[in-house]
Amino acid sequence: MINDTYIIVPAYNEEKIIRSTVEGLQQSFSNIVVVNDGSSDSTLQILRELGVTTLTHLINIGQGAALQTGISYALRKGARAIVSFDADGQHQVSDVIEMLGVLDKQDCDVVLGSRFLGTTKGISSGRKLLLRAAVIFSNLTTRVKLTDAHNGLRVMNRRAAACLNITQFGMAHATEVIQQFQAAGMRIREHPVTIHYTDYSMAKGQRSLNAVNVLLDLLIGRFFK
Amino acid sequence: MTIKLLLAIPLILFSMYVLALPKYQLLGKLLILVFVTILLLFALNPEFSTLIANYFGVGRGADFLFYISHLLLFFIAFRFYLKNRELETRLNRLVQQLALKDAAEHNRADRD
Repeated sequence: MINDTYIIVPAYNEEKIIRSTVEGLQQSFSNIVVVNDGSSDSTLQILRELGVTTLTHLINIGQGAALQTGISYALRKGARAIVSFDADGQHQVSDVIEMLGVLDKQDCDVVLGSRFLGTTKGISSGRKLLLRAAVIFSNLTTRVKLTDAHNGLRVMNRRAAACLNITQFGMAHATEVIQQFQAAGMRIREHPVTIHYTDYSMAKGQRSLNAVNVLLDLLIGRFFK
Repeated sequence: MTIKLLLAIPLILFSMYVLALPKYQLLGKLLILVFVTILLLFALNPEFSTLIANYFGVGRGADFLFYISHLLLFFIAFRFYLKNRELETRLNRLVQQLALKDAAEHNRADRD
């Protein structure tokens, strides 16, 4: 059991999958924090049954915000390392353990999962193209060269987590997080991970058209505070 | 002639209402008065707006006012957008703090 690491799982209406995601994590980790982002289904009820630490947003305010809430909580609890993990079952627990191993070598502060270094199952070619475009945009605006920009699987040490202050409450937070790590001089590494695209995760995840909104959020966030 | 009345009467009524509000200081009221006077001039004497329009290279006064009002409305809409974003940010911060506070209380209850 790993107990100095906190796993943050933002969840919004995940009643179908949250049980298996949390149970998978409970095999290896004792500190799992699910941030229930104003779910209107039975997610909260299932979380109570599972006996997992749950933070609840009274209304739905977005994944970026949920992540920040979880990170703030974990920092207060004295976490040494913090992991962000998607609720929809696309990430593997074994990848987290490998990434924690990379972090333990002490030559970086942040390990980001990359689906393009690893294997991706069930991805459509259109989605692949879009994600590539996101990478190019991210690389242009952040100076950190990455192969995957919008991967929800991240492992960070306490120092790196403490420098985050996510203001992009929606999906644009993925790029903002990288910008903030970089601004704080954190050393970032990528690690190949396996992403399981299931029908469920595709239906739950972002619609491709949302890329336009993300772009707008980022641009406006940059010019207007 | 009818259109002049249709424009002028609401304008006068509206300005009277705004001027009666206690929130504006003397300077604000003067500015509103000047603004309304200009609008009244446009409403009652359309040639006046054509004069200005020609100066800016627009053929017709009505067109000129149309362009200006678009700019103005865009500006107002954008300000509302920013204001809305700010409100959203504050609301989100509030929701986050509530979640953390709730968790802290739960922990205390567990220990007791």
